[in-house]
Amino acid sequence: MALVLDGVAFGLQLALLATGLTLIYGLAGVLNLAHGQLVVAAAMVGAVALGAGAPVLLALGLAVVTAGAAAVLLDVTLLRPVYRLRGQARVLLSLLLTLGVAFAADGLLVHSFPFTRLNLSVATPSVELLGVTVRSASVVASLVAIVALGGLVVLLRTTRVGRAIRSLTQDEEGAQLCGVDPGRTRRLVFVLGGSMAGLVAVTQGLVSSVGATSGLDLTIFALIVTVVGGLGRVSGAVVAGVLLGVVHAVAAFHIGTVLTFVILLVAAIVVILVRPSGILGGAGS
Amino acid sequence: MLTVEGLRVAYGDIEVVHGLDLEVAAGEAVALIGSNGAGKTAALRAVAGLEPGCSGRVRLAGEEITGLPAHALARRGLVYVPAERRLFGAMTVRENLVLGAHPERPDRDRLARVVELFPRLAERRSQPAGTLSGGEQQMVAVGRALMRRPRLLLLDEPSTGLAPVLVEQVYAAFARLREAEALTVLVAEQQVPAALQLADRAYVLEDGRIQLTGTADELTDDPRVRRAYLGLT
Repeated sequence: MALVLDGVAFGLQLALLATGLTLIYGLAGVLNLAHGQLVVAAAMVGAVALGAGAPVLLALGLAVVTAGAAAVLLDVTLLRPVYRLRGQARVLLSLLLTLGVAFAADGLLVHSFPFTRLNLSVATPSVELLGVTVRSASVVASLVAIVALGGLVVLLRTTRVGRAIRSLTQDEEGAQLCGVDPGRTRRLVFVLGGSMAGLVAVTQGLVSSVGATSGLDLTIFALIVTVVGGLGRVSGAVVAGVLLGVVHAVAAFHIGTVLTFVILLVAAIVVILVRPSGILGGAGS
Repeated sequence: MLTVEGLRVAYGDIEVVHGLDLEVAAGEAVALIGSNGAGKTAALRAVAGLEPGCSGRVRLAGEEITGLPAHALARRGLVYVPAERRLFGAMTVRENLVLGAHPERPDRDRLARVVELFPRLAERRSQPAGTLSGGEQQMVAVGRALMRRPRLLLLDEPSTGLAPVLVEQVYAAFARLREAEALTVLVAEQQVPAALQLADRAYVLEDGRIQLTGTADELTDDPRVRRAYLGLT
């Protein structure tokens, strides 16, 4: 039980990480390989602000805003040529461009903040949950993730803007014909996806810590979850995140941390073989 | 309502519409007829703002709209219904309809009115649009366009993929709409008899050029039109 709870907590972080990536992919056709670096950039800004004596909430707010702003900056600058292409050509060019951004950002972040880590693990008391003792930091991180994911789902399902986002994800031209502004909606989705990445910096800072070199691992985690959940599907990313989180926790306990990445990848391959369009199957969002 | 002057559309190096002039007056229904590949779709897409590379002048109610993107034109009331319909297949019929008036708040009265025009949609309201039959999908596509109370409705091959009896039904609905809402329509169509029955005037497009123009009655009696498009002698 403790393992499952641990796994769900980790899985919620994975879900938060992957929804940002999958939301942007679904709408813009851009698979952002610098997604992990968005988390790291947010973490570094948060850590520096905390180090300078800023109040915790302000520092974390700054962290989230940084990631959202960095994402939208990427959308309106480097990614511009990408949107002239359609379909697979767009995905390919976006992969190349964001891979370059990931390398450059990684170098810059590691060079600028070699010893900085965002660590919010203030002395947190443990609490009893379902008969198991868990760290309250982990509970808080999970609650943040649940609120953010729930908020995103409500936004997508019930608001006009959410409907516009879903329409663009399904049929870009059809959405334009309905008066949906693709550029504006895309910028909004980059802000949303980037902010979700910023929140991952916060929640990861709560349960462990985020350093300058974490970017690549985070991107890989996000990619695995996104693919298992079905590219572009928010609900799939949430389910896949929690599932892989539990697999990760169980594997880490019974087999050892060395092999957990391998086991995650095997789990991902099995899901993709059985359900090529993602864990929930079918098409669309 | 709509004035098009010297419209040219090219796909890559190949020009498919060579300087089209066309006019649609307020309240009028105009048909653009021609065979497959004549350039009808390219012309409509260009007017709707979906061909950024096109050249020429387009005005809507006297206002210059050349080069405006599709979403801006839709918001101005120039609404295009493509032959492939472009519905949101995973979203419900109701959501598809409501999106037609984006970014306006969903208007219940208007929704009720559109559903009244196509009663079939009432039954299908909560169903994903992708599960509907071809005829029903056409109703959703037209209904979605009507949600905005369009000033000008551009219809591209509304008969695509429909059985003859459904083509008749769809065109009957257009005729009713013209009466009820004084709708201004430009319809591109290969099913020439249906289009000529609906339209006041028509243009015959061949190889990207207007070959012939006149009232629907004149063209119905024209020997060239009868031979080429009506299958009569």
